[in-house]
Amino acid sequence: MMQKKEASEKLTALFNLKIGNISGQLEETGREFFCSDNKLMDEDEVADLSSEFVSLITGLLSSKEPGKRTTPQFHAMEMFFSAFSQRMLMRGGNVEDVVRYAQKLQYNLIAALEKDSGIIFTQSRSVLLYFAQLFDELIMAIFHTYLGEREKTLKAQEAELRETSTPITEIWDGVLTLPIIGTLDSSRTMLVMEALLNRIAKDHARAVVMDLTGVKNIDSQVSHHLIQMVRAVQLMGSDAIITGIHPEIARALVSLNIDLTGVTTRASLSDGLKEAFSRMGIQVSHKAA
Amino acid sequence: MAIAGIHLTRIGRGNFLLEPLRSLNIGGWEQLIQDIVTVLQQEHATRLYYDLNDLPVIDPVYYDWLDKLARICLTANIKMVCINMQPTAAFTLSKFLTGKPLFETALSVP
Repeated sequence: MMQKKEASEKLTALFNLKIGNISGQLEETGREFFCSDNKLMDEDEVADLSSEFVSLITGLLSSKEPGKRTTPQFHAMEMFFSAFSQRMLMRGGNVEDVVRYAQKLQYNLIAALEKDSGIIFTQSRSVLLYFAQLFDELIMAIFHTYLGEREKTLKAQEAELRETSTPITEIWDGVLTLPIIGTLDSSRTMLVMEALLNRIAKDHARAVVMDLTGVKNIDSQVSHHLIQMVRAVQLMGSDAIITGIHPEIARALVSLNIDLTGVTTRASLSDGLKEAFSRMGIQVSHKAA
Repeated sequence: MAIAGIHLTRIGRGNFLLEPLRSLNIGGWEQLIQDIVTVLQQEHATRLYYDLNDLPVIDPVYYDWLDKLARICLTANIKMVCINMQPTAAFTLSKFLTGKPLFETALSVP
């Protein structure tokens, strides 16, 4: 009972503490993690980081409810760690260093507070538990930021890959070509279709030549998507021309009973382009000698 | 030409542009089609451009309205051309459309 009372007294003492200038003592932790080999921060930045942290922890400990996770002071602390870890990750740091820094900061903070106040906080279970819970939440914020950044990177890479896998080119004013290479599955067909329709609207393309020379396999679902793509292109008011259908693909389309009525097909990309040009009234001829 | 829910404008010899407004109520399609075709016939229209610019999605109900209007226009020897169809609308329409629609499509008014 006596021990419990003593413990809670130390916690109360912690919350009523007038924290002095301890940021200098915390700077060493920052320097150790971010100024050594990796050079993620300079000395001034570490000093700013430590003093901002001290001002935030002072605000949190002196707030009305320092143990609550919904106060603006706690939120500010979370945001601080989140922004800091984002900055470190953007500079090429790794999440492990940021987490280890937070853990070391926790121990050094308790030590600094102990030294500053003369109260032995390291022997108080409730104080240690309070800081452990607080820093667990802050480490969670670091991980959230890390995962968010990873997700952003993955999305950007995915978008880049999508862009390169559907190279829609305006080969002539109002004529788009779309060479499809590799395996066409349903999700890719949808992506191609989305990109193509948006491009038609953007460029006001009057003809689209879809070249399937590089497509080796096609299944029932994909062939339906392909026809749907042609139909959508036509609905937007453009002409759709399919070229380079391999004999295997042609056989598959016939055996799958795919209705190609109203779909213009040509043997090769060059034939498809000639067809598109002739529909637009463009004549391409050899220069007279 | 004041018809509730649409703007009908002459845009050249025999050509008319129909711009649907937000207030268009296709529930009362019978009266609406009658009013439109009456105006088009009075003005000796040969082509009706239906502007789909503000329509992000065409569902079966709206397609049915377009189909009816195109069908009646055809009986009056008026060609209906849908213009400015949005990519999202083309996508949704192509999903449930089984055959060729009765109306033609174009990117915009030529």
